[in-house]
Amino acid sequence: MIQDKKEHKFGMVIDLDKCTGCGSCMVSCMSENNIPFKEDESRKKDSITWMRVYKLTNGKSFPDIQIAYLPRPCQHCSGKGGHGHSPCVSVCPATATDYGYDTGIVSQIYTRCFGCRYCMGACPYHARYFNWWDPEWPAGQEKYLSPNVSPRMRGVVEKCSLCYHRYQAARDKAYYEGRDDIEESEYQTACTTACPAGAIVFGDLNDPSHMVHQIVKPDPHPDPMNKYVVDKSRNPKVFRLLERLGTNTKIYYLSEREWVRKAGDNYLDGEWDKVKNHHGSSSK
Amino acid sequence: MKVDRRSFLGLGLGAVAGVVVSPVGLKLTDDSSIWTQNWPWTPVPVDGEVSYDSSVCNLCPGNCGISVRKIADRPVKIEGLAGYPINDGGACLHGIAGLQYLYDPARVKTPLIKKGDKFEKISWEDAITLVAGKLANIRKGGAPQKLACITDKTQGSVPKLFDRFLTAFGSPNLYTMPSLESCLELTAQTLHGNGNTLGFDLENSDFILSFGAGLIEGWGSPVSCFKANASRKKRGAKLYQIEPRLSNTAACADKWIPIKPGTEADLALGICAVMIKNNQFNSSTFKDGFNRFAIMVRNKYAPAKVAGICGIKVADIEKIAGQFVMAKRPLAIPGRGRGRNGQSLKEFAAVHTLNCLVGNLNQRGGAFVMAKNDYLSFPEAILDGVAEVGAGQEKLAGSVDEFVTKLNAAGKPIVDALFVYNANPCYSLNEPKRVKQAFKKVPFVVSFSSFLDETAMEADVILPMNTFLERTEDVPSQAGLTKNVVGLIRPVLKPVFDTKDPGDALIFLARALGGSIAQNFDWETYADCLGDVTAGIWDSLSENGHVLVPPKPFKEFFEGPPDVDFTFLATNPSTVQAQGDFGLTLIPIDNMRLLGAMPADSPFAIKTVSDKVLIGKDIVVEINPQTARGLKDGGDALLTTPVGAARVKVNFNEGIMPGVLGMVRGLGHTFDNKFVSNKGVNVNDLIGPQIESGSGLDAAFGIKAKISKV
Amino acid sequence: MDSALIPEGADRCSFPKFAIGICIVGAVALWGVYAMFLCWFKGLNQTNMNDYYGFALWIWADLAVIAVGGGAFFTGLLKYIFNVDELKNIINFAVIIGFICYSSALLILAIDIGQPLRGWFIFWHANVHSMLTEVAFCLSCYFAVLTIEFIPNLLENRQANKVPFFRHLAHNMHGVMAIFAATGAFLSFFHQGSLGGVAGVMYGRPFAVREGLLIWPWTFFLFTWSAAAFGPCFTLLVTWITEVVTGKKLVKDNVVHLLAKISGWMITTYIIAKIIDTIYWAYVTAPSLGFKMSHFYTNNSFYGYWILITEIVVCGVIPGILLLNKSTRENSTTRWIAIVLGVIGVCLNRWVMVLQIMAVPVMSFDTWALYVPSWQEVATTVLPVAYGIIFIAITYRYLPVFPQERELNHTKLEQ
Ligand code: SF4
Ligand code: SF4
Ligand code: SF4
Ligand code: SF4
Ligand code: SF4
Repeated sequence: MIQDKKEHKFGMVIDLDKCTGCGSCMVSCMSENNIPFKEDESRKKDSITWMRVYKLTNGKSFPDIQIAYLPRPCQHCSGKGGHGHSPCVSVCPATATDYGYDTGIVSQIYTRCFGCRYCMGACPYHARYFNWWDPEWPAGQEKYLSPNVSPRMRGVVEKCSLCYHRYQAARDKAYYEGRDDIEESEYQTACTTACPAGAIVFGDLNDPSHMVHQIVKPDPHPDPMNKYVVDKSRNPKVFRLLERLGTNTKIYYLSEREWVRKAGDNYLDGEWDKVKNHHGSSSK
Repeated sequence: MKVDRRSFLGLGLGAVAGVVVSPVGLKLTDDSSIWTQNWPWTPVPVDGEVSYDSSVCNLCPGNCGISVRKIADRPVKIEGLAGYPINDGGACLHGIAGLQYLYDPARVKTPLIKKGDKFEKISWEDAITLVAGKLANIRKGGAPQKLACITDKTQGSVPKLFDRFLTAFGSPNLYTMPSLESCLELTAQTLHGNGNTLGFDLENSDFILSFGAGLIEGWGSPVSCFKANASRKKRGAKLYQIEPRLSNTAACADKWIPIKPGTEADLALGICAVMIKNNQFNSSTFKDGFNRFAIMVRNKYAPAKVAGICGIKVADIEKIAGQFVMAKRPLAIPGRGRGRNGQSLKEFAAVHTLNCLVGNLNQRGGAFVMAKNDYLSFPEAILDGVAEVGAGQEKLAGSVDEFVTKLNAAGKPIVDALFVYNANPCYSLNEPKRVKQAFKKVPFVVSFSSFLDETAMEADVILPMNTFLERTEDVPSQAGLTKNVVGLIRPVLKPVFDTKDPGDALIFLARALGGSIAQNFDWETYADCLGDVTAGIWDSLSENGHVLVPPKPFKEFFEGPPDVDFTFLATNPSTVQAQGDFGLTLIPIDNMRLLGAMPADSPFAIKTVSDKVLIGKDIVVEINPQTARGLKDGGDALLTTPVGAARVKVNFNEGIMPGVLGMVRGLGHTFDNKFVSNKGVNVNDLIGPQIESGSGLDAAFGIKAKISKV
Repeated sequence: MDSALIPEGADRCSFPKFAIGICIVGAVALWGVYAMFLCWFKGLNQTNMNDYYGFALWIWADLAVIAVGGGAFFTGLLKYIFNVDELKNIINFAVIIGFICYSSALLILAIDIGQPLRGWFIFWHANVHSMLTEVAFCLSCYFAVLTIEFIPNLLENRQANKVPFFRHLAHNMHGVMAIFAATGAFLSFFHQGSLGGVAGVMYGRPFAVREGLLIWPWTFFLFTWSAAAFGPCFTLLVTWITEVVTGKKLVKDNVVHLLAKISGWMITTYIIAKIIDTIYWAYVTAPSLGFKMSHFYTNNSFYGYWILITEIVVCGVIPGILLLNKSTRENSTTRWIAIVLGVIGVCLNRWVMVLQIMAVPVMSFDTWALYVPSWQEVATTVLPVAYGIIFIAITYRYLPVFPQERELNHTKLEQ
């Protein structure tokens, strides 16, 4: 019943100068997506947070130190050359995670995943989380769970879905109303709508009328310096995480601060100064 | 048939082969995998029709509009309400996690009565009868002032009903927990006369000079401040943040000015001195004491001196003053962190004086001196003879902190009964063990609470309250905003447990007491009462869920800039110093991801807390590596202050001034909720109160401390 | 007591002694089984793995046993395809070791996955792009081949051999074993390779990623090569240990020398390739992604350059040279040093290629992830070792594993 016939490429641009590190996006995601919690969540390496906000510093000492926050959902990598071979999708032996060519969304099928965790090893963003425990809610609390996202069982991997159920709902609504396409405002993710600072802009990178497209201005040509990199931003203040790896993420970041943009990727000594002034960060 | 080895083997092999090729194995394999996908212990949420309710969140003074998504009448998600005048869509993590409070393991599910050390269930009728009986006895004794009450705030019909109850009962002893609102009211009262409060037009200012106000740490109405901060970049408005630590606000500011803790007032007065010296001020509305004030700051707050006190260069002080004066719409804001605990009137007044000097009062982008919200009209209170006696009595103390101190100091009980509504003083005041001691001295404590928190545990009777999702209530918000919004909390579901709206509980109790007290609460339900007392705005309040009071543009509302009275500051009231004489200063850190006071945090909120703040059960304190001699980053240490000691972990942070230790506020709860409690220590346990003379506020901004490796 | 089952003319310890030994090792195995059931019933929270460190101790063990189990396919290849006939004297044992290694590997995989009851999805919903799919198919098929290769030896048990059908079957199977050996070599080549591919294709992990040939990164070939090189070392090591434990010589020196020599050549050629690969990766691949080599070996408390030097020089170059050189190869001390170093080297390589990958931060603001295994992981990792010991003990006791055993030990008696 796919009515929405356009080929979308959903993505985000997150303004790191606006982001306050408040954590609303994290909690909105947890609440929207039935993410469980346990007694000790201070071991961040086993704490399920589809949206995780990292704290970055410029590494200087008092009083020149600066900090920034970087919210990290799944980056919905399009893979080398943008062909849909995301680092995680290409390795999953059971096709339990897949690339949606119609949406650009990297899906995760909990009931098919058998928990080999290869995808987690392959993802450099640590966007994937394993259910080490059975999810458990204190008595009564399961009443607030949403039927739109199935609670996961122990032993499978989960991650940000770009709130795919919201896309489905928007599509269904459009179909019901006899429309072919959905509006920008009809499909917005839970983290986007929650952000009190308005730091997250979400939409279709393919659609020039969408704000995310206008901010990112994705370059239709592959990066001449690195043939694997496509859809590089033409906005010099916009960058992607680990762009040089050729993962071709669809979550873009925006900052006026040079040190923040530099933190988005790895550079050899002196490399940054050569590349920083053109075309956002460098992918070569 | 003869069964020899061969035929036996053959039969066995045949059977195995048969099972293998038959569909049985395949079927079992498939079934088992399907079973793993439907484990009976993994819940399957019920589907149904989707609907949306709008209401207001009052987990903090922000009072944001919320939209609650419901499926089959079950609330499943809270989001910010688009178009709501305070937050317009966004919401903070606490509001979004709000549904977790409904089913919090620490919720009080029925009225409880303490028997020995344990609580036992009791019916509402029995609980009310019991409380009414105790109260009737107090009145019989002829000293109705011996009933005291602690609430979270003064504004809105519910706090007003508690006030009314005490008035009808005959007691003046109503105390409120420290809040930014009360500090702003006190400041406005001190500088501009009674009945006023302050608001700050952050959205329109082009230069915000913040004396530690955590604009993105939960100060004021948090989401509204977040929005103002985000729009700052677009507007090109500058933010200078003055505080000892690189908070998130400082990090996103245009300039961070590290300052020695507790010297903010000195800096503000130093800047005043520079402005006055350079004749850069506007004195048209100055009423009393300006000349004395001017002389005082010239003598006592010369930049050279202030520089030494605050640890800021003279040139920088002058530069800040210059920039403040030169800005088109400058604005100075007081209130360290959330602006709630440990604030001093001197500091608030000194900072606000900058607004008065620069002449931004009631100007776009400036500080607003506004009349306090009074949309409520209660019928005249009816006092009987006993109440008249009590009404003539002096209040026992000027603030809740002073009240606690007096309770402790007295030999025999100075109050016979104490109500606590929506407040957790046994956790959130400084040195809670002293508060618990004081509670023990009160013969009868009644807690009106949704949660069995530290204070409810000290009560003799707990009357369980509906949470904000189950109740009706009007919530006026000022919280440093320039707009006066009254929001309406509406129940989004029936009470999950046997709980009541606070108003209904009071009406119930008043009825049980009878006489003039019952007459004062002559409503069938709290909902009736609310309709009555908000009659002037009820129609639009109930229709739109909120009302802007007064719904006029402010130009018409404010008749010109208000007068400024300098007499308080002209006497140069003394600045509160940190208690003790250890080498370092411990300051509490307000962190947006922790509520810090009432209610305690949700499991989701705790989940977001960084491992640089909490590791397992250990709280992490921040220290500048320069001062961290002998300590190891990530190592264990013992933190000692004059009032307590705690095992902590150490985090080397270049973003905190040398000589300062930072500890987050909001951890270390001790009630029964494994997701939230027994994590870290309560920083208030380590800080003693420092009552500011004149205001009665507990102005302890921190305390002297030492730290050593263990 | 069990003499009827013991191969004719073979000298075995008394049954009680044997039983006691089995019981001791069995206790260790039971400990492992207990841990295994904990993991199955309570889930992988029994381990200290986490979302950063999703592959851990036993996955290393898995890769390591497969690597050292490579002796089976490589010896089989040499014996049946290249007709290196002397190797018939060790082939049975190589197959048994391979069988143990591969069955252990499969068992570990069954414990390792979060949803063991869905393990078959890897076949049913196979993703052809995934190296792990390739591993799963080849591994399962090769295990079937190993089982077939092992059956004739099993049927040579004194009692089984009395059944004419079994006798004929064993005989006929020996006859067609070349086909299976070839199939096994092919499958093994692929899954050893795909295991290497598992790391090499992770282009999000600069420590692991390698360029390569067609769809196969260089690690694909390096893994196969190293398994072929070090697998025989492990066969020799276990043979030697068995000889020490039984106090008997079981394989003639010329066989050992031959296998050691072949291994020496393989190790040396492998390590040359590995050095070239490392240099290319360190100076071309990683820098093109923004990483200095030092990034992978500094700023943490465990992974230093020591691991690189140990793997390549101490446990690669040195054993290669020692086994190539006739005098050191035929000197038992230096030969055993080389063999032990070689086995350590290949295991270390597997550690590096699975676990160090997980530990290295990739995002510039991320941190190293180090981990310490839980006792359950240790127990389940020790389980295959205990199982292997028991399996070897039983097969050695009841099967004519070493064709030269009688000859060698009778000669001794006659002297
Ligand atoms: S909600 Fe917005 S401001 Fe808060 S952490 Fe997330 S992105 Fe940043
Ligand atoms: S961020 Fe990780 S999980 Fe998400 S698509 Fe990329 S590789 Fe996959
Ligand atoms: S853990 Fe699940 S999703 Fe990830 S690779 Fe394995 S089967 Fe696929
Ligand atoms: S897009 Fe949805 S699933 Fe992804 S992080 Fe945001 S809220 Fe979570
Ligand atoms: S800021 Fe306060 S009122 Fe607004 S959502 Fe958060 S807790 Fe609720």
